[in-house]
Amino acid sequence: MSSVMRGNIRMALSGVRGAKWRSLLTMLGVIVGIVAVVTIVSIGDGVKRQVAGQLSQFGADLITVRPGMVVKNSSVASISNTDVLFGMGSSTGLSVHDVQAVQHAAHVKLAAPLGIVPGAVQVEKKLYHNQLVLSTTASLPDALNHPITYGEFWHGDADPANVAVIGRNVATDLFGERVPLGRSFTFRGQSFLVRGVFAPFNASPLSPTANFDDAIFIPSQTAATLTQNNAGLYVMLAKADKTANMPQAIQSITSQLRTAHGGQQDFSVLSPQQNVAGSADVVRSLSLWITAVAAISLFIGGVGIMNIMLLSVSERMHEIGLRKAIGATRRQILSQFVFEATALSLVGGLVGMLLSLATVGLLYLYTDLKPVVSWQALAIATGVSLAIGIIFGAIPAAKAAGKDPIEALRHE
Amino acid sequence: MGRYTKRHMPSPMPIIELQEVSKLYGFGDATTLALDEATVSINEGEFVAIMGPSGCGKSTLMNIIGLLDRPTHGVYRLQGRSVETMRAGRRAKIRRDTIGFVFQFFNLLPRMTVLENVGLPLAYKGVSPRRRMKLAADMLERVGLSGREFYYPRHLSGGQAQCAAIARALINNPKIIIADEPTGNLDSASSRLVMELLGEIHKSGSTILFVTHNPELTRYATRVVYMHDGNVIQDEETRLGEIAATARKVMYTLPVKTEEDDLAGVSTLMKARPDGDKTAKKVAVPKKRKAAKPKPKAKRAVRSKK
Repeated sequence: MSSVMRGNIRMALSGVRGAKWRSLLTMLGVIVGIVAVVTIVSIGDGVKRQVAGQLSQFGADLITVRPGMVVKNSSVASISNTDVLFGMGSSTGLSVHDVQAVQHAAHVKLAAPLGIVPGAVQVEKKLYHNQLVLSTTASLPDALNHPITYGEFWHGDADPANVAVIGRNVATDLFGERVPLGRSFTFRGQSFLVRGVFAPFNASPLSPTANFDDAIFIPSQTAATLTQNNAGLYVMLAKADKTANMPQAIQSITSQLRTAHGGQQDFSVLSPQQNVAGSADVVRSLSLWITAVAAISLFIGGVGIMNIMLLSVSERMHEIGLRKAIGATRRQILSQFVFEATALSLVGGLVGMLLSLATVGLLYLYTDLKPVVSWQALAIATGVSLAIGIIFGAIPAAKAAGKDPIEALRHE
Repeated sequence: MGRYTKRHMPSPMPIIELQEVSKLYGFGDATTLALDEATVSINEGEFVAIMGPSGCGKSTLMNIIGLLDRPTHGVYRLQGRSVETMRAGRRAKIRRDTIGFVFQFFNLLPRMTVLENVGLPLAYKGVSPRRRMKLAADMLERVGLSGREFYYPRHLSGGQAQCAAIARALINNPKIIIADEPTGNLDSASSRLVMELLGEIHKSGSTILFVTHNPELTRYATRVVYMHDGNVIQDEETRLGEIAATARKVMYTLPVKTEEDDLAGVSTLMKARPDGDKTAKKVAVPKKRKAAKPKPKAKRAVRSKK
């Protein structure tokens, strides 16, 4: 039996080679489907890895306070009434007073606010309109648990008001060098001095936090002066004194803030896991769509294979008759045609995998997504194309196997 | 293979035994009777030529004997066992192990080399590719085609292709070779080559059945069976190397082409029936069975193959 199989495999592959265009067109559906499957699984894996990286980087004890109410449906937490990506646009923001409230809550070691300060940044007569400028306090590096590569962060009130710490990309994009310490930029009519550059952040692209690599951080006191206290905070970061105390910390922050907001729960206090749940949600819904597209494409690919195999069976009826005459059993004919169908779908799957490696490579180079091609993804792709060959090859193969030998021989 | 094939059976026992085998095609008014209660038995080691006009049921008989087709009625015993109701899988295995087919149009697979074609039946038996190639090469040498192993069928002459087809039929050492007009598509030199090859195979003990329209070729046979309208009308033992007596008498009326010609040929054959000849075994031709048969109209429309 095994030697028959080997012969079948060889015959099937030579069949694929023999009719290149026909085979390629037949495999197209499978190719597209496999590209979609491998790419989405890789993106999903990549995001998962980035989220995990973010969790471990910022620490498992980082509490996030956001404006807007968390609605719990099933086990998944999602934030309603807020922009998932930034938390802006919510009518009830968090104010500077809330920072005090959080800081005084029990089991809270430190708290750092983050507010968006609108305005254009000017570096040596060049204007950058879309530059992200965040206001924060000196506790940010501790809250984020993130080091400064060059220079240092400002220390509380003792420092001059017009200092800034920048993300890595800002250094290269705006100043054209990696260590622009001591250089200045103009923001809202004030000149700021660059005092430090953050180490690169491991930001996940779909996470609710902004990419800090692209941000300029200025002291919140200064920001308040510049905007006449109008800039709301979009997030507040807090750290519990001990990881074990996190539930209590979350509880006390919640009660403190509720008191401050007059009993109104128009904010959310999230553990790190809840915080990244948002990006998991985005990936999940994206996956759902692409999986649907992939499933349809794979189905169409399978039907294409079935179509070609039915054609092949009727074209080769005489051959089937002859093979039966010289002793091929039903099962042997069946396996021959299933092998041919499987060869088509497997070669299609292989081409699809190669194309998806290219796709993933391009995504890695040109987007914030950092997809990871795992062996599981490739195994799934192989399994799926194998299954398609077997499932959609079965009907034509059964048709061939069931043919009466003498009837088949009469075909020309 | 195993159970079914009994290698050492006593020689006089018929290897092929058909009793009142009928084959009907179609339904209702369109029913045609390809075989009409034909009774034949063939012993091991016989070299049987089957003759008769087109559409007389020769090919149908071959297909039934070769287990490619099933009789509508009647009993068929192959090596003493009834095979007409056997499952398709077992019939396939008997075809593989016991029967070798040679066709008029060679039926070599065009996408395979000669060597692969010859070794194909071994593949269905589960022989390893290496051994398959070895056995197929040996067999090609036996039929005089060594050096052509890696040719494709389209590169062979008709005679060579038929020899390759015979090599394929022989590869599993079958007890029975069934050849349906093996020389029908060959010139006379190639025909001789092929028939001599079959003769040699016969000498090594195989039972061979072949269909032919050429009376000349009966000189290779040990027995000649004449058919008409789905029935065996004459069964004659001959000596190797001699053209059968009956066949010689009809020689010059052949070849037959139309149905009219067929009928004329057969009537000549009827006249030529050697009633007094002791060497020829007269078969009891069932004549008075018309009442039990379908309409005689149907009989006129008898046809079997393509």
